Amino acid sequence: MRQAAAKALSLVLAALAAGCVQGSYNRATVDEPLRPEWLRQLQPGRDSLGDCLQRLGAPHRVFEYAVEADGRSGMALLWIWRDVAGFGIDVSAGTKEVTGSVSFDFGDAELPGCVLWFDAELRLEQWRNGTLGDLLPGRARPSAWSAQ
Amino acid sequence: MTMLRTVLFATLLLLPACAFARQDVNEPLDAELIRSLQPGKTTAREVVERLGAPTEVVQLGRRTAYRYDASTEKSTVLFLLLINFGNQDLRTDRLWVFFDEQDVLTHHGAWFGTHRTQYALPWEDVHEASDNEARDADRPGVGQ
Repeated sequence: MRQAAAKALSLVLAALAAGCVQGSYNRATVDEPLRPEWLRQLQPGRDSLGDCLQRLGAPHRVFEYAVEADGRSGMALLWIWRDVAGFGIDVSAGTKEVTGSVSFDFGDAELPGCVLWFDAELRLEQWRNGTLGDLLPGRARPSAWSAQ
Repeated sequence: MTMLRTVLFATLLLLPACAFARQDVNEPLDAELIRSLQPGKTTAREVVERLGAPTEVVQLGRRTAYRYDASTEKSTVLFLLLINFGNQDLRTDRLWVFFDEQDVLTHHGAWFGTHRTQYALPWEDVHEASDNEARDADRPGVGQ
């Protein structure tokens, strides 16, 4: 029993020393959250698209919103950011090379973000903070409006 | 002398255990060029001539919007015997230009962040307001 424990311990120590198994603490940040004071200044029903772009800068994504029969449409502007940190265990098996890179996964429903909705006159209708899963509807094709 | 040895030993021990990496996607956006865009006057054709091909074109009913972007990511890893510390910091430049159905610019909005990216360890907060302001001041067309 004691021999087995000693063998297991030496295996663990060898794996740790060789870097095959290691503890890790990692942090990944992507862009910055919109400042609350900027958001507090937004005035639905009054602010225009230009006012909001000037105050908040460019969003990450823009979506078609509330398309009318004559082809007029509003739009939704999305800002997202990420700041995650945590402990983990890295196991290196040497099977495949993985490049280290962070980016947004727009399918990640837990990402924090903010959406501003504008009507067809490009007047701010409403805005909301939350997670992507709450803020965005499912995928949809763009409207089929055509000038012909 | 003992102190010097200790410092030298610690330096030798840690030096091979640090890694830095940088990854850039697209050229950072030119803030001064973006200032030259004039809503009500500049056309989609002129925007593309000045800025090149956009990353994305979005249809918004009768309107269209073009997205231009660039990103810079800086990664730092400290490898120790039993634990690694890693930090990845990615910041983007973004520009959206909006056109009416005649392809004339109606609005544009920009954000410049690539110059704010920093090498850091995960417990450091490197994006304090004063830090960002100092970096903004060094980038032409952004700090004003």
